[in-house]
Amino acid sequence: MTQLNCAPTKTNLLRLRSELNFAQQGYELLDQKRNILIIELLGIVDQAVDFQDRVEKMLKKAYKSMEETIFDMGKLKVQYVIGSVNIDADITIRSRKVMGVDLPVIETKFTDHSPYYSPMGTSFWIDNSLQCFKKVLEQLGKLSELKISVLRLANEVKKTIRKVNALEKIAIPDLKETVHYIEGRLEESERDMFVLMKLVKERLEI
Amino acid sequence: MKYVIIGDEETVLGFGIVGVTGKVATTPDEARRAFRSVIEDRQTGIVIVTERVADMMRSVVDKYLFAESFPLVVEIPDRHGGKPDRPGIKEMVNTAIGIKL
Repeated sequence: MTQLNCAPTKTNLLRLRSELNFAQQGYELLDQKRNILIIELLGIVDQAVDFQDRVEKMLKKAYKSMEETIFDMGKLKVQYVIGSVNIDADITIRSRKVMGVDLPVIETKFTDHSPYYSPMGTSFWIDNSLQCFKKVLEQLGKLSELKISVLRLANEVKKTIRKVNALEKIAIPDLKETVHYIEGRLEESERDMFVLMKLVKERLEI
Repeated sequence: MKYVIIGDEETVLGFGIVGVTGKVATTPDEARRAFRSVIEDRQTGIVIVTERVADMMRSVVDKYLFAESFPLVVEIPDRHGGKPDRPGIKEMVNTAIGIKL
């Protein structure tokens, strides 16, 4: 605890008292904010981990299938076939605010016009890859929504905790200490004045 | 709005099957250039980046992850699998709030 550097006057005392009041109010608000953010974060973190595991598993399968496709048909032909695939993924991004943090909410709509290519001369694996990647893409919107929400919330929690700690451990104790010191000094000088007055009165009465 | 992918050739090809347009990037310079051109497009909603490519331009990606609300960036492992030293979601949260879940 360090004392703030200011003269022990009544004006300063009043100013510091209102500052202390303000700091305490701010501390309470930030504390509430921190709690709400942590509750929100704990609510989605398990979901996010679950989704990530699932998507990663599906991706692994999809990559494997893609490899087989390339072995079977060759990159050039795959690229050629891809040109005819007609799937449209349309995303709508809205945002949700939690204590001033923007969290995305993603909706994905697929428009699908199958069949895309002739089964003649194409490998079974390309159908398989298509199904796999489609499944991945369906989950990816939700995953990115959760992951980004977690990242942003965690970041905000970190910032809020730092602010709360600064107020709790430094700003408020310092202010309290200074207010206490000024109060002491003012009382001291009051008593000084009182004694002085008594002395003067006694002298006058003699 | 659409998905856009930046990654190695196989990943881009794979997502190409389901109609996601992509840019191939193998060097940090390419990655940065691809990323810039992707975010300039107003139609881009979500940028899918493979972890290896994201590492080449970590600062740019982080800026979009934390500061900008749009477009969204999501990292996925590429076909060689995820990086072993990558911090999981749980660890990230643990360090952020200072308690173990």
